[in-house]
Amino acid sequence: MSRPPLPNGLAALAALAVLVIAGVGHVGSPDVYFRGAAGPYDVGVVIRPPGVVPGQLDVVVQVSNEPAAQVTVQPVLWETGADGAPPPDLAAPVPGEAGAFATRLWLMTSGSYSIRVVVSGTRGTGTVDVPVVSAATRELPMSPALGALLLALGAFLVFGLLSIIGAGAREATLDPGVPVDAPRRRRARVAVCSAAAIFALALLGGNAWWNHSARAYRRIIYKPLASRVSLADSGRVLQFVITDSRWRQHEETPLVRDHGKLVHFFLIRAPGMDAFAHLHPVTSDSNDFRVALPPLPAGTYHTYADIVHRSGYAETLVDTLVIGGQGSPAFSPTDSDDSWIVSGALTAASDTRRATLADGSIMSWDRGDTSLVANVIAPLHFTVTAPDTRPAVLQPYMGMSAHAMIARDDGSVFVHLHPMGTIAMAAQSIFSRGGDSTRDAPLPMPMTSATLPDTVSFPYAFPKAGHYRIWVQVRRAGRVLTGSFDARVR
Amino acid sequence: MKPHRRASGEGTIGVPWYLSAALLASLCVIVGVMWDISWHSTIGRDTFWTPAHMAIYAGGLIAGLSCGWLVLATTFGGAASRGDTVRFWRVFHAPLGAWVCIWGTFAMLTSAPFDNWWHNAYGLDVQILSPPHTVLALGIAAIQLGALLMTLALQNRAGAAATQRYRVLYAAAAGLLFLNATIMTTEYHRRVLMHTPQFYVVACLVFPFYLVTLARASRLRWPTTSIAAVYTVVMLAMVWLLPLFPATPRLGPIYQTVTHMVPPDFPLLLLAPAFVLDLIFQRAPDTLRGWRLAALLGAVFFAVFFAAQWSFGSFYNSPASENWVFASTNYYYALPKTSYAYRHIFPPVRPAKLAGGLALAAGLAVLSSRLGLACGDWLRRVKR
Repeated sequence: MSRPPLPNGLAALAALAVLVIAGVGHVGSPDVYFRGAAGPYDVGVVIRPPGVVPGQLDVVVQVSNEPAAQVTVQPVLWETGADGAPPPDLAAPVPGEAGAFATRLWLMTSGSYSIRVVVSGTRGTGTVDVPVVSAATRELPMSPALGALLLALGAFLVFGLLSIIGAGAREATLDPGVPVDAPRRRRARVAVCSAAAIFALALLGGNAWWNHSARAYRRIIYKPLASRVSLADSGRVLQFVITDSRWRQHEETPLVRDHGKLVHFFLIRAPGMDAFAHLHPVTSDSNDFRVALPPLPAGTYHTYADIVHRSGYAETLVDTLVIGGQGSPAFSPTDSDDSWIVSGALTAASDTRRATLADGSIMSWDRGDTSLVANVIAPLHFTVTAPDTRPAVLQPYMGMSAHAMIARDDGSVFVHLHPMGTIAMAAQSIFSRGGDSTRDAPLPMPMTSATLPDTVSFPYAFPKAGHYRIWVQVRRAGRVLTGSFDARVR
Repeated sequence: MKPHRRASGEGTIGVPWYLSAALLASLCVIVGVMWDISWHSTIGRDTFWTPAHMAIYAGGLIAGLSCGWLVLATTFGGAASRGDTVRFWRVFHAPLGAWVCIWGTFAMLTSAPFDNWWHNAYGLDVQILSPPHTVLALGIAAIQLGALLMTLALQNRAGAAATQRYRVLYAAAAGLLFLNATIMTTEYHRRVLMHTPQFYVVACLVFPFYLVTLARASRLRWPTTSIAAVYTVVMLAMVWLLPLFPATPRLGPIYQTVTHMVPPDFPLLLLAPAFVLDLIFQRAPDTLRGWRLAALLGAVFFAVFFAAQWSFGSFYNSPASENWVFASTNYYYALPKTSYAYRHIFPPVRPAKLAGGLALAAGLAVLSSRLGLACGDWLRRVKR
């Protein structure tokens, strides 16, 4: 088997290292979108984390099927549970938006939280937990305008204080009406100069203090667990190793299975995103995860490993991997749910609405003429039609009617979502059980029915403008099918 | 700026309106700060409009507006009113204290956008001292210092004829300023730190300077004791009054059951060294001055404060103090139950480190006293 040249060589690797931005739970997509049931009420929840800790997050709850009289939200930290949570906050109705309620909540520490939503109305009370990870993820630069304002105010304060010191040294100890003589003026000038020197030192000290505070803050900015992705066994096996000392020293809670898997591992070939794989490595020691590598084309791949901790803390570990050739012809998947697809490359003009699946079915993106706008809920509705043009009968795929992966062409955004949204189902189960979780007890799959309707939807808003590729995965007749779509987001 | 003659009390001197305003501002800001600390310990969540914040803003506004008006009235009110003021930027006239108060108001205003940005950039800072909080604290301290300087100018101009009213007002102004110094160093003198070196290092660095400075400028017979008494009385009022108001946490995680406003720690036993310092001021011969006097003051402050506070710490960290009088169960809502404070355990300190820290504290007390003497002697001469 010949080895094709690398798409972009080492320069691409370096670029990827810069472009791939690690995120909590997902990459470059911090907002949480959830759709589900709070008892008898259908709710959609959007949570915008603050990016700083302590900080305030915005919560919007949309109750769609029944009129809701009251909606409360409460931040529940995994470590303390509901007993250590503050009292729920009443969300206020959003003017002009029927059924929408909004409020802001304080998250005071880093860690795994659930936003507990309680809806009350004519049909009683319903509760649902929406997991959210609290982490410092950004440092806010100071705007030039604010910087100028503070500089001006600071200069005014320093100048004013020097003037006060000068006036005090010159006149404060004089008897009323006594004029200021030359020696006093001299002394005042000396006092001002001395004070200026002291202030200069104080300002330097203040600057050092500020820098120290900024450094201390940077230390608490979220860093994903260190990990390494490589090929083993002559390129037939993909090896994913968590190398982080925090993990090795058991400072982190163990992993739990999400949709029955400890790791959901994704490969996306760069830059065209024309090859994609969704794998499930297995491990015997919680550090070293391995999975048989499907026959993917050679190239440089972004890799994303989705994991969920026992605390409900979900994170995505990112890396890059160079694959040198077509894998082994005798490939046998490690997990029956492993899947991959090779399709055309994303181009600037790409904007697809229809995908032909591997079994001849057609997956259509039902978005009409709706354009896609950043930070506005996108119409991610898909319909699968069987080859005989009848509505396809779908089956649960890892407990869900569908999975969708969305990636931006520069690798700066990657999200793995389901019809219930961006949350990790395992994390939600942990919170709904009062924080109890064990690694080996499989968390319940929400969907067990054998047949599902032919349409699937995902609640999500693209985080920024750009070119995206969307992979939608369903199961039909026991086979995992992947549809690939391209989108331009304004 | 002549003291006002009181119509109803011939021979007594009334209090000028601007001084009343400045002292009220000084009281407002410091009560607001103590209330705010209790608010954050109890309820946690705040807004721009909390009562504690209102008290702080009111203090800043009262000081800024009253002193601003005083500047206008003095500058444009005719030459006769400028004799006991200092000139500022060649145009404006007002007592030195008024300028300091105005500066304090501007510093408080400056801290607002700075603090807001800080919260957005680095998250809400839950400690007392951060760079923007320090700007606010400097503003608050300036307002209190301004009130003190205005009181001082009136007292010193009256000389030997200074009425008891000015002496008492000065003690109040000085006590409030000293209270500010103790609050700003709260994080270094909590209950569980009373057997650690940093407790004594910080106390000996800060408190002798304030006490000696303020006492030196006073005309009272027991100035240091009076100032420490103001501190003690206000603190005791907070310790005993705050828990009377029901309140519960509005932020999590909540590790402690809190049902009422959390009071501060029982006041430090500063009355003991203050009383001894006053004895020294009263009895030291005139030949004892400068570094020699500072050495005596510093050494005595350290020895008495250490003896009083160390032994009190043993009691204060014991179950015997877990009552409303001493309020040693004043746990804030997020205090972990694994903490030293909750378990009433002193953190371990190596004997060598303790000895080194105590020696440093003694030396700092001397240095702090010497600075206090220099500043106090200057303050004693302030007349404008």
